[in-house]
Amino acid sequence: MRRLIKAGAVLATLTLAGALAACGASSPGSGGSSAKTTTLTISNENGALWTCDFSPFNGSDTLLSVGLVYETLDYVNPLQSGKVTPMLATSYSWGAGDKSLTFTIRPGVKFSNGTPMSAKDVAYTFNLLKKYPALDLSGVWSVLSSVTQTGADQVTMDFSAPAVPWFYYIADQVPIVSQAIWSKIANPVAYPDTHPVGTGPYLVNPCTSANITYTANPDYWQAGEPRVKKIEYPAFTSNNTANDELANGQAQWGAQYIPSIASFYTSKSPDFHYWFPPTVNVSIVPNLTNPLLGNVKVRQAISYAINRSQVSSLGESGYEPPANQTGIVTPTFSSTLDSSLVAQIGNAYDPAKARQLLEQAGYKMNSAGVMTNAKGQQLSFTVINIGDYSDWVADMQVIAQDLKAVGIVVTPDNLTNTDFEADLYYGKYQLAFYDQQTFGPSPYYELNNWLNSADTAPIGKVATTNYERYSNTVTESLLNQYAATTSTATQQSIMNQIQQVMVSDVPIIPVVEAVDWYQYDTASFSGWPTAADPYAQPSAYAYPDMEQVLLHLQPK
Amino acid sequence: MRYVLRRLGFFILTLWAALTFNFLLPRLMPGNPALAMLGKFHGNLTPQSLNALEILFGVNTHKSLPTQYVDYLHQIVTGNFGTSLDFYPASVDSVIGGAIWWTLGLVGITTVLAFVLGTGLGIVAAWRRGGRLDSVLPPVFVIASAVPYFWVGMVLVLVFGINLHWLPYVDGYYVATDTPSLSPQFIGDVLSHAILPALSLLITTIGTWILTMRNTMITTLAEDYVRMARAKGLPGWRVMLDYAARNAILPNLTGFAMSLGFVVSGAILIEYVFNYPGVGFMLLQAVQGEDYPLMQALFLLITVAVLVAILIADLATALLDPRTRAAS
Amino acid sequence: MALQATIETRRLPTSQALARIGRAVRSNRKATAGTALLAIFILVSLFPGVIAHDNPTLDAYAPHLGLSSAHLLGTTAYGQDIWAQLAWGTRNVMIIAFTAGLATTAIAVLVGIAAAYLGGLWDASLNVLTDVLLVIPLFPLLIVIAGYAHGGGTLVLIVVITATSWSYTARQLRSQALTLRGRDFLEAARVRGERKLYIIVVEVIPTMTSLIVASFLTNALYAVLFASSLQFIGLGDPNTVSWGTMLYWAQNNAALQTGQPLWALAPGACIAALGAAFALLNYAFDEIGNPALRPVRVRPLKRGKPRA
Repeated sequence: MRRLIKAGAVLATLTLAGALAACGASSPGSGGSSAKTTTLTISNENGALWTCDFSPFNGSDTLLSVGLVYETLDYVNPLQSGKVTPMLATSYSWGAGDKSLTFTIRPGVKFSNGTPMSAKDVAYTFNLLKKYPALDLSGVWSVLSSVTQTGADQVTMDFSAPAVPWFYYIADQVPIVSQAIWSKIANPVAYPDTHPVGTGPYLVNPCTSANITYTANPDYWQAGEPRVKKIEYPAFTSNNTANDELANGQAQWGAQYIPSIASFYTSKSPDFHYWFPPTVNVSIVPNLTNPLLGNVKVRQAISYAINRSQVSSLGESGYEPPANQTGIVTPTFSSTLDSSLVAQIGNAYDPAKARQLLEQAGYKMNSAGVMTNAKGQQLSFTVINIGDYSDWVADMQVIAQDLKAVGIVVTPDNLTNTDFEADLYYGKYQLAFYDQQTFGPSPYYELNNWLNSADTAPIGKVATTNYERYSNTVTESLLNQYAATTSTATQQSIMNQIQQVMVSDVPIIPVVEAVDWYQYDTASFSGWPTAADPYAQPSAYAYPDMEQVLLHLQPK
Repeated sequence: MRYVLRRLGFFILTLWAALTFNFLLPRLMPGNPALAMLGKFHGNLTPQSLNALEILFGVNTHKSLPTQYVDYLHQIVTGNFGTSLDFYPASVDSVIGGAIWWTLGLVGITTVLAFVLGTGLGIVAAWRRGGRLDSVLPPVFVIASAVPYFWVGMVLVLVFGINLHWLPYVDGYYVATDTPSLSPQFIGDVLSHAILPALSLLITTIGTWILTMRNTMITTLAEDYVRMARAKGLPGWRVMLDYAARNAILPNLTGFAMSLGFVVSGAILIEYVFNYPGVGFMLLQAVQGEDYPLMQALFLLITVAVLVAILIADLATALLDPRTRAAS
Repeated sequence: MALQATIETRRLPTSQALARIGRAVRSNRKATAGTALLAIFILVSLFPGVIAHDNPTLDAYAPHLGLSSAHLLGTTAYGQDIWAQLAWGTRNVMIIAFTAGLATTAIAVLVGIAAAYLGGLWDASLNVLTDVLLVIPLFPLLIVIAGYAHGGGTLVLIVVITATSWSYTARQLRSQALTLRGRDFLEAARVRGERKLYIIVVEVIPTMTSLIVASFLTNALYAVLFASSLQFIGLGDPNTVSWGTMLYWAQNNAALQTGQPLWALAPGACIAALGAAFALLNYAFDEIGNPALRPVRVRPLKRGKPRA
């Protein structure tokens, strides 16, 4: 008995002593940034440990390899209306009728194993995607008919039909790999690529499940670059840890959603900043086959009833700005916005107008405060939402309150990701809350997905992106015309007409704008992208944009 | 001997029950939840991995339930729990391997500490019956036992982590700046991160030990042989420890086994509050990420751990207390 | 959780037994405190509007407000009044506590006493079921079930908790029922020719009232703890107003780290207080059980005064 107690006391003392020693040993201390360093640490919670696979054709690995190790033909900046920065291709030109695209490949570029990169590798890469459609993440072969090397340093791509917007995917999203290496791989789809060989500014050295270290490529084709010589990319399995270490200054480049960011992060140091550039709309998606929602006045009423600023400030802590019914994301694409149309809409939040529209549609408020029509049908709907996204759940709570005020009852149904997607794709819902998963250099990319009849399907079949089942031949022809022109004037005129469609037909109701998550610490590095200088999409997970960020950064 | 066999038999029975429950649950849920989960893998699994998951969850199979059951048991016995969804394409076994040490460390050491300290305090309280310690402790710990574990954790986070900045309160170590190794820096990092979670667990579990020990001590102190020892003139602390406490502690062992389930449960929430990367936190992440293979395996692991601990406690009691052996 | 089963040496009529309990509650300090606390919570759950004038779900105010006379505990990150949420959330918690507590105790009574009285194969199999469920760690089990069910509203929580938590009480009730088996008053009933069911319902169960009541309190406490924990980790319905869901939203918004600690600590404190109420009552029952329900002792007659 005595011995037991003695043992316990010894154990307790040891633990306490060890802990006290530990207090002095580590702990960089919170608040204030770390010591000046030339190693950049990224805080991007991926929810899992690293697999140390770097295949540039595997959607889970692209953010770790494309831009850092592998490069693309050009860099196309979605935040500057598609401004092109030549990378592996020095120039490009469109052929007759915009049905062919020719790239001139940069000379003197080497893969990290010393072999030179040439037009041969470019042509090979694209044809690899054709041979193995699972590798074609952007689906470029849905518009290409052939890719051939047409000169010592030229590659020509032929289109089956004009698809000008696809320039973004072809030039910016396809990583170029070495033919010498990849032609010897038996099964490229399953190839893990644990030791990637690319033309990019960094080498993987080494990778463990807990952390990836990137070191500068000494033979990188841009002389003097990269100036950040080492990158540490730890594997965070929980958001809290990633946020905490960002707030401690242990990581300098964050891609995190941080609640109450002012008190959590920016107040801790004058060097801590954030910027959330808006990308796509988060919208209420009505099922247009629903008889009550099929009435455009009901949809317009919904649009006027929602206090978007309140949804943004309460549901999204103000991080995601209010959207507008034209579907144009501002300020990212403000230059495309048709201001006369905006003036026409008037006050976007107008409950009185909403009630008026409903009355015009034949609805009257009943004793329970719900709009009912002559046939006794009530404006009461369920809205499906992804339960895991607590900010979307909070958004819907505000929206429900706003709609109740004009007599429309919406009951949220919070589902898991998989259940939600299943219901959405097959059209088994009344209202849904969602955003498109694609973002590009103009509003076309998102709006085309929403409005193109080619992307929809009847209820019971899978709709790829046009979930609301919107079908309109005029709109479709407008979208196809956009795809066939390189003239910015024509593009703008078509965009104006698309905005008109959004306002008159109300196929979806944009509420807030989704953003890129981005925090940065200016203590040790300068050259970060900002709202004033949006030279690239700033999130660490945006590829190949993160390469541009890294090439601009320099240690102080 | 019969006692040992009985306990072993019970252990195997409960183990079988847990396995069967694990087998039945996904198959009983409306709209087999595993189907949707498998869809997420996008057909990227090797045929063996796919087969393993199909056996575990009973999807895409036309075999009869009994055949599925046999396949399932065979697979579990060979330790094949399939591929994890959250940590794809890592196997579930490899993923759990990392987390288990954190929980063993935290829960193991804290439980021992709680047992030792609690038992000690209980002995002292009983010995000084009616003293200040004795009258204060029971009501304090009755109330403390009703306090949710995670709340204690939150208060500690707020006071020592956020307001005073004395200790870290997120994760097991500084992920961004430290790499797992045997260096003193890393070990120090781990220890400093373990203090607050361990303290939370200690505060909430120690009450049971104190109270049970105190109660059994009070009963034991009334026994004749204790009175005899005192009459013989033995020093007080010797009577307290070598005569009374030694016997009073035995029921605590069974109590220890019974409360192990609660310790595990409490540890899950404490790991959640502190983001401590143990099996409890991983279970919650698996649930939130719908990673059913991982969830299943973790549940089995936790259950088996508790069952094994109970078995050991039972066998230890049999070893230490001849009365138990005789009773059976 | 040291419930000591109290064993009666002589049976009292139910009304007298309950009256004694009532008197004992009033005289024991712990019991009084516990009852008072519980009564406060029950009152708040029935009439939350009396102490909280705001709508708990409406995002009506500015977010992140501190303490003030308008907002006793401040507002959440969504502009909701925390005090109102706490008050209105009491209703959900009490519903869970009482429903799950009663249901669990009812099942435990059924299983435990039936096992003791039916004996034989029934006893053996129910016993095995009880013991197995007893050792399987409950919270992980709840997590897995709720996980497969993708969480659920209050009803799902109650059902899931009830289905898994009855074993401890069942075992206790069974042991006590077994000790009662040989008692004279039961022998008398059997000899009288009463049916087994009658004996169980009319003779046995009332005798075990104190244990059953104590078990109900324990089960209610654990129902609240489990349900709140499940809601906390996101397996409840985040749109209900309850202490556990308050914790969920507070955690999601890093309330502790962003200067809104009350949002997280207040619901936890309430759970602790309610738990303390149940625990105090339980502890008091332990102490009361023996003296109050002991066999009636003849009190010496005071001159001129009738026997009390």
